[in-house]
Amino acid sequence: MRPRSLLRYYGQNAVIWTFIPAFFFLIVCAFLSSILLEQYFLGLIAEAYPDADTANRDLLFAQMENVALGVLSTEDGVLQSLATDYAEFGNTIQRARGWLVILLSLSLAGFAYLKAMPQFRARESVEKVLGGLFLSSATIAILITVAIVASLLLEALRFFDVYPLWDFLTGLHWSPNIAVHADQVGFSGSFGMIPVLGGTLLITLIAMAVSVPVGLLSAIYMSEFAHPKLRNFFKPTLEILAGIPTVVYGFFAALTAAPFFRSIGLSLGLDVSSESALAAGAVMGVMIIPFISSLSDDVIRAVPRSLRDAALGLGATRSEMVIKVLLPAAFPGLVGAFLLAISRAIGETMIVVMAVGTAANLTFNPLESVTTVTVQIVGLLTGDTVFDSPKTLSAFALGIMLFVMTLGLNVAALTLSRRIAEKYE
Amino acid sequence: MEKYPNKMTVCDVSVHYGDKRALGGVSLDIPENQIIALIGASGCGKSTFLRCLNRMNDEISGCRVAGEILLDEQNIYAQNVDPVLMRARVGMVFQKPNPFPKSIFDNIAFGPRIHEITQSEAELKDIVHSALERVGMIDEVKNRLGDSAIGLSSGQQQRICIARAVAIAPEGVLMDEPCSALDPIATAKIEGLIEALAADYTIVIVTHSMQQAARISQRSAFFHLGELIEVDGTSKIFTSPNDPRTENYITGRFG
Repeated sequence: MRPRSLLRYYGQNAVIWTFIPAFFFLIVCAFLSSILLEQYFLGLIAEAYPDADTANRDLLFAQMENVALGVLSTEDGVLQSLATDYAEFGNTIQRARGWLVILLSLSLAGFAYLKAMPQFRARESVEKVLGGLFLSSATIAILITVAIVASLLLEALRFFDVYPLWDFLTGLHWSPNIAVHADQVGFSGSFGMIPVLGGTLLITLIAMAVSVPVGLLSAIYMSEFAHPKLRNFFKPTLEILAGIPTVVYGFFAALTAAPFFRSIGLSLGLDVSSESALAAGAVMGVMIIPFISSLSDDVIRAVPRSLRDAALGLGATRSEMVIKVLLPAAFPGLVGAFLLAISRAIGETMIVVMAVGTAANLTFNPLESVTTVTVQIVGLLTGDTVFDSPKTLSAFALGIMLFVMTLGLNVAALTLSRRIAEKYE
Repeated sequence: MEKYPNKMTVCDVSVHYGDKRALGGVSLDIPENQIIALIGASGCGKSTFLRCLNRMNDEISGCRVAGEILLDEQNIYAQNVDPVLMRARVGMVFQKPNPFPKSIFDNIAFGPRIHEITQSEAELKDIVHSALERVGMIDEVKNRLGDSAIGLSSGQQQRICIARAVAIAPEGVLMDEPCSALDPIATAKIEGLIEALAADYTIVIVTHSMQQAARISQRSAFFHLGELIEVDGTSKIFTSPNDPRTENYITGRFG
């Protein structure tokens, strides 16, 4: 009988059976055995040190581990003997694990060898395994996203247990410091997100006001007017701008842009804060320029050549063609690109942490200091924090808000760019 | 054969893309109010030649055109000629129907608007209506001028494109295989339309279909490997061509 698959598939099938299950077995074993070992020895420690509490037992266990590894020496005879046992146990388990894996691998190899009969559909079997591999890679990414959102959501829900959601969404006052002692004054702990959100929106607005015109016009120049040689110079140069670390933009904003705007303001007789929203927003705008110009360039170039020909063939000039044909045709895609840029600006952290204040002023005056959602999150979660105080938990509530906003914008952007793609099919 | 005055005269035109010669030494007369068909195998330079006639090659970087093309005795490649205005005199219809993703009305009004042919909305409406009448579509679309032209069938789209070209009252219309993306019924409609348009416009059409050239054109020009082999009355070309290469192509012995 002729084999049902090409010979190499039988070989591939054997390789898969030999290595892949053994590999996963090894991972699961390593995970389980370390947990079991820890539980067992925590029990032993509890017996040996009856008056230690949970935290102390954990500490002792860590010490014992280090003694067993030989990085720490101890005078405590009990701990020393426990450590010796632990090292021995660990070795035994490791050895047993190794033999088990080899045994499993060999027996599955034998199984695959026996299965390699002409009537066995080896190709289908290999395809199925590869399909499963791709599927599991895709699933891992999704699962991690879900896990992140879930952890954010759980903490946020704990916050909303102690602080009402409605007050959080509509409150006009944000001062997250809470009195630790009863006699402290002015630490009311008020979590109204509106001023924080307002600051984020103000800075985003300034950033978009800078980046949309510059980015869009440079994209039009590159795709429609520039000589190919010039384009080959401009495009990579703009992309260098995208490669600058945001922390560098941050100190540019704090040390160069902010004093610059302040001195201009002073010479005009305006009082500009040294942490003005204008400076941070403008620098953030510069950061987003390459993002917008490269996305818009793609969108504009996706408009078919035939539409350009049609307009030029009717005697339109290049700029008439751009304004009357290209931009309307590319409009949904451009809006999508802008929305993506907005969601980036909203989530941007480093520039605002360095260039913007922490006081939550509810203002739409770009010359004043405001604060943003990301700045607050950083402030709430760095330094000494207590993980069950509303102050810390409010960071997760802000995180959820940020997530919902950027998610909404990304979905809108995707829908719009899909719409432009459909239009030309 | 009747003698027509020449609308365009092409003298020794050659075209290079970078270092590659696409067309060499073409001289050709294009008589007024006639249909001249450009035939030849793919890559023989006939589309390149067509695009020279309204300077669309200017838009391709690395493309150089040498020689003279006279439109009513004026060299369109002269320094003082504005290619944008020139293209308003010689319109173009492309291989694939390419209406703008706008309403039917806005498609046809595009040319009149950018050239400010009229300031009044009422006159613009008249121009659009008469262009649609010209292509025999007025009854099909007069109640849905606001609908997107993208929703039309490809035959209708191509007729919209022709209407769009004639709406600015050009003197000549260049057509680059206008029927190659269409089914036979739509092709027949467009062919009839082209013949009717010849009463008012000088038409240059590139075609791969020998039957189409035979059916609608008065003159035919055969291109081969970037050169013009011969040009003559269509019936002469199709019955007793002078050059053996023309005969080979027409009888299907190569290409």
